[in-house]
Amino acid sequence: MSGIPHDHYEPKSGFEKWLHQRLPLVSLVYDTLMIPTPKNLNWWWIWGIVLAFCLVLQIVTGIVLVMHYTPHVSLAFASVEHIMRDVNGGHMLRYLHANGASLFFFAVYIHIFRGLFYGSYKAPREVTWIIGMLIYLAMMATAFMGYVLPWGQMSFWGATVITGLFGAIPGIGEPIQTWLLGGPAVDNATLNRFFSLHYLLPFVIAALVAVHIWAFHTTGNNNPTGVEVRRTSKAEADKDTLPFWPYFVVKDLFALGLVLVVFFAVVGFMPNYLGHPDNYIEANPLATPAHIVPEWYFLPFYAILRAFTADVWVVMFANWITFGIVDAKFFGVLAMFGAIAVMALAPWLDTSRVRSGRFRPMFKWWFLLLVIDFVVLMWVGAQTPTDVTSWISIIASAYWFAYFLVILPLLGVIEKPLMQPATIEDDFNAHYGAKSHAAE
Amino acid sequence: MLRNTKIAAVSALALSAVLSGGVIAQTATTTATTTTEPAATTAAPVATEAPATTAAPETTTAAPTTTEATTTAPAATDATTTAPAATTEAPAATTTEAPAATTEAPAATTEAPAATTTEAPATTTEAPAATTTEAAPATTEAPATTSAADHAAAPAEAPAAAAHGAPEIEDVAFSFEGPFGKFDEHQLQRGLQVYTEVCAACHGLKFVPIRSLSDEGGPRLPEDQVRAYAKNFTVTDKDTGEDRPAEPKDNFPRSGMENAPDLSLMAKARAGFHGPMGLGINQIVKGMGGPEYIVAILSGYTGETKDEAGTTYYQNHAFSTGWIAMPPPLSDGQVTFADGSPNDVKHMAEDVATFLMWTAEPHMMARKQAGFLGVLFLGLLTVLLYLSNKRLWAPHKGKH
Repeated sequence: MSGIPHDHYEPKSGFEKWLHQRLPLVSLVYDTLMIPTPKNLNWWWIWGIVLAFCLVLQIVTGIVLVMHYTPHVSLAFASVEHIMRDVNGGHMLRYLHANGASLFFFAVYIHIFRGLFYGSYKAPREVTWIIGMLIYLAMMATAFMGYVLPWGQMSFWGATVITGLFGAIPGIGEPIQTWLLGGPAVDNATLNRFFSLHYLLPFVIAALVAVHIWAFHTTGNNNPTGVEVRRTSKAEADKDTLPFWPYFVVKDLFALGLVLVVFFAVVGFMPNYLGHPDNYIEANPLATPAHIVPEWYFLPFYAILRAFTADVWVVMFANWITFGIVDAKFFGVLAMFGAIAVMALAPWLDTSRVRSGRFRPMFKWWFLLLVIDFVVLMWVGAQTPTDVTSWISIIASAYWFAYFLVILPLLGVIEKPLMQPATIEDDFNAHYGAKSHAAE
Repeated sequence: MLRNTKIAAVSALALSAVLSGGVIAQTATTTATTTTEPAATTAAPVATEAPATTAAPETTTAAPTTTEATTTAPAATDATTTAPAATTEAPAATTTEAPAATTEAPAATTEAPAATTTEAPATTTEAPAATTTEAAPATTEAPATTSAADHAAAPAEAPAAAAHGAPEIEDVAFSFEGPFGKFDEHQLQRGLQVYTEVCAACHGLKFVPIRSLSDEGGPRLPEDQVRAYAKNFTVTDKDTGEDRPAEPKDNFPRSGMENAPDLSLMAKARAGFHGPMGLGINQIVKGMGGPEYIVAILSGYTGETKDEAGTTYYQNHAFSTGWIAMPPPLSDGQVTFADGSPNDVKHMAEDVATFLMWTAEPHMMARKQAGFLGVLFLGLLTVLLYLSNKRLWAPHKGKH
């Protein structure tokens, strides 16, 4: 499949030949599994497998949970308790599913930041990056709607706040919000459509994942040096790569095993740590929780949403220049979606010709700051707003935008990159201090 | 939404029935639950339907803007406080059917537990049923009983919780904590006894099937005892629609008092520990603190009271606002345990907190075991994969 020269599937037995002429299915699987993979991939490259595992885990546990769940405002909460108490293994299924979402996002954030550091978004992998962003958006929608289903207090009020964002769109906002909710407020109609979409979207994600994999199998994997695999001859390509099976499959499975040890410890010993106690209180439209917070994985963007209050000069300026159409609330919504949009545009905002952050002395520090910024945003997103946290969230939000809109374009011009290794083989051998035996 | 607005509608009925130990209240609320018509609007339902509950409405409408629990609470509590008065003096004023049941029932509830748990005779009688009538523990906890009107209001609202200063909650070394912690059967049984003799007068456990009392990893009452215990509750049969003594297959009743929260999930619905600095480290070290919160509430009374809008509030350092509507439910020596276990407030509080942890998480033992097996086998698999990986890559890394 990839442009890297490698052996292709040859049907051998009579049946294989017969099938291959009619449907080259085995060939597809073979080429996918045997794709030449840069042999210097480091441990940051294992999260793709973890993500694939998460998707399967969520779909499998989710399908079984649906067999026992009732999407109705007066029955949903009780049906979750039914799962927790009466269904065989139901409590494990639910905790796996709930914490599985957390693992999913934990993995996707590392996966995204890996891409940002090693320049995996750069040409020719822009499409892979964009598809990845779409997957991430679909994941957020799925997770958000899934969190509404247990119909606890945070489910209800989270849904109320987040769907309220659409109401912030000037003019057409409220009709859109009503249309989304299926009524003037979060109610049974909302729960039902969220349930339907929560079941649908994972399959959309699965399809997008297939395209994501297809895209990077076409371009070949990026790698820690950012140097491309040599493609002039198969002999040269063989020196830079190893087939995905068995080398990377076994390596990734090892890493997955390690991740799952931690995951099972969390599920088994502290399954509610990442949840909010209020969600064990049944939804009550008449009692607003003291502090509405989303799940941890939404916090960075939630912080950006909250950062832009009416007393921030950017907001005042936007308000003035648009004759009051863009108010603080709408500005916050734009900022939140904008934060993801600028990330999606990274391939065109980054002007450096060097892919890997390893060879970009200035970029490294700005990137490190971005990671810290992300963690700070996550923290501040969970705090009750005070003067101090408002300042922190404004500064942290500003840096997020500055990184993509100012720093990435500028660095490419002013930064003097370090020497890159000529080939992946050189990098690999430098690391392991031996000449390659594979090619001999 | 519809359920809760309906509740407001039925509350007149329910409140007058409150004293009846849950029986009538239960029927009332169940009928409320079954209605399906979505009551769509925001604050309106309360205002329109509430008049039935005498005093409540005006305060309810005033509520939305306020952020403090103390100020909004009266809206909800008013209803309850006025109701008991009505029930004791002139039940007819509010509803039609209640009176007869109301007067008898409290006795029924207080008796029931004693009969059930066999070990502990009636020492309790004086307290729970009688006292609880004035209190409305539930509503005061939800900091802002504002109407749904501030839906759209931005996420940044409600800085309430933090402002009160951290409630004082101490870590308790429960036997069930940690990866290998286990419920102590006897403690669960004592907790059940405390619940039955004290808490059950107002608080329900509607999600907990009575039969689960004999489950593995729970109080493990023998089945005949569970059958006998179940008879102390009255439920409305789903098929016939008639009241009958509960059987093990039924769940515990709902809260007998409208504003007393159901306790099924209470140990998971409250966080005892936070931070530091919102970092979530205390929760890793000490646990979420739900059971500790319960212990702290039960033993956190200072003895101070204050009257506000006709409701008596009791000072309690563990409570978010510092003042709780629930009168001190436990006093030293209130429950007598058959095994002679200590029955001071602190011990009873820990027993009932343990019991409520079990009602909230009945399969905790099974879960920890599954977690342990998962970690063990995945750990083993990971070691094997590590060795495979090492061997597989060795030739390519120049390590023959």
